[in-house]
Amino acid sequence: MMNLVTIPNLVGGHLGGWRHRDAFAKPVMNLEAFIEMTQIAERGKLDAVFLADGNGVRDMDRPALFAANHPSARPAFFEPTTLLSAVAMVAKRIGVVATATSTYEEPYTIARKFASMDHISKGRAGWNLVTASNPGDALNFGRAEHMGREDRYARAQEFYEVVAALWDSWAPDAFAQDKATGQYLDPARVRPIDHRGAHFTVKGPLNISPTPQGRPVVFMAGQSGPGMELAARYADALFGAGTTKQDCIDAYADIKGRMARYGRAPDTLKILPGVSTFVGRTTAEAEELYEELQSLISPPLGVHYLSKMLVHDLEGLPLDGPLPTDMAPETLGGSSLRRYIIDMARRDSLTIRQTYERTLPALGGPVFKGSPTQVADEMEDWWRSKAGDGFTIMAPVQPRGLRDFVNLVVPELQRRGIFRKEYETTTLRGHLGLPDPPSQWHPEQASGERGVA
Amino acid sequence: MMVLGFTGGALGGHLGGWRHPDSFPTTSMQLQCMVEMAQIAERGTLDMMFLADGNGVRQMDKPALFAANSPSDRPAVFEPVTLFAALSQHTRHIGFVATATTTYEEPFTIARKFASLDHLSGGRAGWNLVTTQYVEDAKNFGRDEHMGRVDRYERARESLDVVRALWDSWATDAFLQDKSTGQYLDPARVRLTNHRGTHFAVKGPLNVARTPQGQPVVFMAGQSDAGKELAAYGGEALFGTASDKAEAQKEYADIKGRMAKYGRPPNALRIMPALSVFVGRTAAEADALFAELQALISPALAVSYLSKVVGFDVTGAPLDGPMPQARGESLGGTAIGRSVLDMAAREGLSVRATYQRVLPSMSGNMVKGDPTHVADMMEDWYKSKACDGFMLSMPVEPRSLRDFVELVVPELQRRGLRSPEYRGPTLRDNMGLAHPVDPFLESL
Repeated sequence: MMNLVTIPNLVGGHLGGWRHRDAFAKPVMNLEAFIEMTQIAERGKLDAVFLADGNGVRDMDRPALFAANHPSARPAFFEPTTLLSAVAMVAKRIGVVATATSTYEEPYTIARKFASMDHISKGRAGWNLVTASNPGDALNFGRAEHMGREDRYARAQEFYEVVAALWDSWAPDAFAQDKATGQYLDPARVRPIDHRGAHFTVKGPLNISPTPQGRPVVFMAGQSGPGMELAARYADALFGAGTTKQDCIDAYADIKGRMARYGRAPDTLKILPGVSTFVGRTTAEAEELYEELQSLISPPLGVHYLSKMLVHDLEGLPLDGPLPTDMAPETLGGSSLRRYIIDMARRDSLTIRQTYERTLPALGGPVFKGSPTQVADEMEDWWRSKAGDGFTIMAPVQPRGLRDFVNLVVPELQRRGIFRKEYETTTLRGHLGLPDPPSQWHPEQASGERGVA
Repeated sequence: MMVLGFTGGALGGHLGGWRHPDSFPTTSMQLQCMVEMAQIAERGTLDMMFLADGNGVRQMDKPALFAANSPSDRPAVFEPVTLFAALSQHTRHIGFVATATTTYEEPFTIARKFASLDHLSGGRAGWNLVTTQYVEDAKNFGRDEHMGRVDRYERARESLDVVRALWDSWATDAFLQDKSTGQYLDPARVRLTNHRGTHFAVKGPLNVARTPQGQPVVFMAGQSDAGKELAAYGGEALFGTASDKAEAQKEYADIKGRMAKYGRPPNALRIMPALSVFVGRTAAEADALFAELQALISPALAVSYLSKVVGFDVTGAPLDGPMPQARGESLGGTAIGRSVLDMAAREGLSVRATYQRVLPSMSGNMVKGDPTHVADMMEDWYKSKACDGFMLSMPVEPRSLRDFVELVVPELQRRGLRSPEYRGPTLRDNMGLAHPVDPFLESL
């Protein structure tokens, strides 16, 4: 079975998405809209909703782009663990995955809030572990300098190990709560973690009992070398990024191939490449939506947006001329997305206008556009070709995009027998088909290395 | 109007509370218990549910006490902000006051999660600002040494300033979301925080829109002089710990008197002493509950508990001999511990008499009796300017909360001390606190 998660971004995944007539009227801090999106996803039996996150307001130095807003800017949004704790009360089956960075938060705090969310949702919580890559966010945490990539990943690895150990602090049967004897808990069924490492010193134990999933599901988005390595070692699920099927097939083989050295079976990590879907009842309807959205973006705004994506100012350059050749190959805080866009423009000899036109609908990522059959064909092809174990679905206009996907594409996938018709489990780990995590409290693992799958 | 909140621990406020037949069958990580308590309280139009918090498992060095669990140890509880976010979807009116420490958390993170909770709850969020005094918690954050009191309070004040500045980042009308022009937001209606201080450097702005309350309500528990000063400077509600009415009146006058120098009117701060309530339909019923609970605690457990409360070991002392006094002030010592020792010294209590007083209500105030008696005491304190309301502690949950709501609340309403319905949609409305002015509107 294919695994499907979605990013219910209220402004949609297209730069012009929020302006479309079928978009939410007022997406800012709109809880009802977010609940509606989650319920649509749950109606479609999707594995999880997922929230990206950042710790800062971005693009204030580009007022035109700032004022127009773009899908990954998020100038005003809920803090994800609080939002998803609230949403878990309304949507009862779907998984809820929140992003939190290992760069600015303490392991104890992260372990705690995700364990809390797992209890609140009765086993549907996921943590997307990111190393913050936006240099501006550092300035909200008293750090003038942003950490380099190696530092961030070394810290992230240790961070994960501490969090996983904290989640395993208590035995599942530690809390007897025996009114007759007065024994609330068994002191022999809890241990400090006594971690002392390069980045963290954490004594433990965690002040939350074992969670319904044993531990929340850990997502990562590792695209760089160190990111892929960390994912191969510890992630339960991975948001892949690749512009083409071949990219995704290569990344899939690469990451799954790295897992053996950590003693992990390949299917204990689910790779879910991000795709943007433009679906219509017919091909023509999908094309029409696509054109409507492209036409909402003026050339100056398109250029601003591309400048931001490439971390390079393109204003004043000829729209129909090529991208400059003097762009720095790698910047601190620059993302893998930036490299994809530059590679795409060079490979296909695109002008600046063509580059932003290709970038607008899906941030340079793959687009599945067409009738339900066409979109399902592409999904099935990628899935069978081992480009992914499923997908992270983004849609250009919300709630229309997700609703169309659920109403039109999901039934087609179900008809083909490659996606569930009903939820078969109650936990996110169950939806994703992941094994129970190891624990020091399981007798057969008592002597095993803690926190290593 | 009298302000009323309750401490929402499912375990109950008495050390023996969780063992009583009328307590929840199990309480560890039971969301349903928390939902039920919030809904009972909302039925009784209480203003807020409050949760204390800590970042560590305590008493592991005292296995007997650890195994028995005590109301203030919380070895396994929900992280309060995520919990309240969930409870906001099961309730419509009651406020949610979560504790977060300025000692281990960054102002940006605190500002963000409480702003998020305020939006999710439609304006019902409060932040109980604490500075962490537990040495064990420090060890979960890479610190072997605990911060001293002065450092902690300086840091707390700076953190409060930064959090409030972050909450003021955006104008109420900053997000136009105009589909026709394509203008989503107005860049002139947001401002940087640009804070550079002793403890923090925070550029801002916050990535959450201005909240329904403008700013979540800030609670404190200032018992030391530094704490009182901070409350006078920036608190909007204060949990008092005075152990009798005269002391409460003195404290009330003291703290309200300090506010003028910060340009704040006295009614901008609500003082809410903790009050443990043992209520029954009759005085006899209340006495019976009290006796049942006291009987659940063995002397050995009680002495162990008392040792924890006062911050030093009294397990070797004769039960019927005088309560020992601490020498000097310990870094981890709390105001409650000091107040217990003061009470024991003042009244010449034995160890046994001290723990018998501590078990039901720590050292805080307790009222026991029929609904009229309970309401009389509350009315007297309120009218004597000993407080603006109470933070209720309930010995056995959910029985005690339900009893309070069914027996005492109607009596307070009959006397005009409590409104028959919620006064407004936000926690501020219900506490009678002004909404902070949007600084972008003020400057027009």
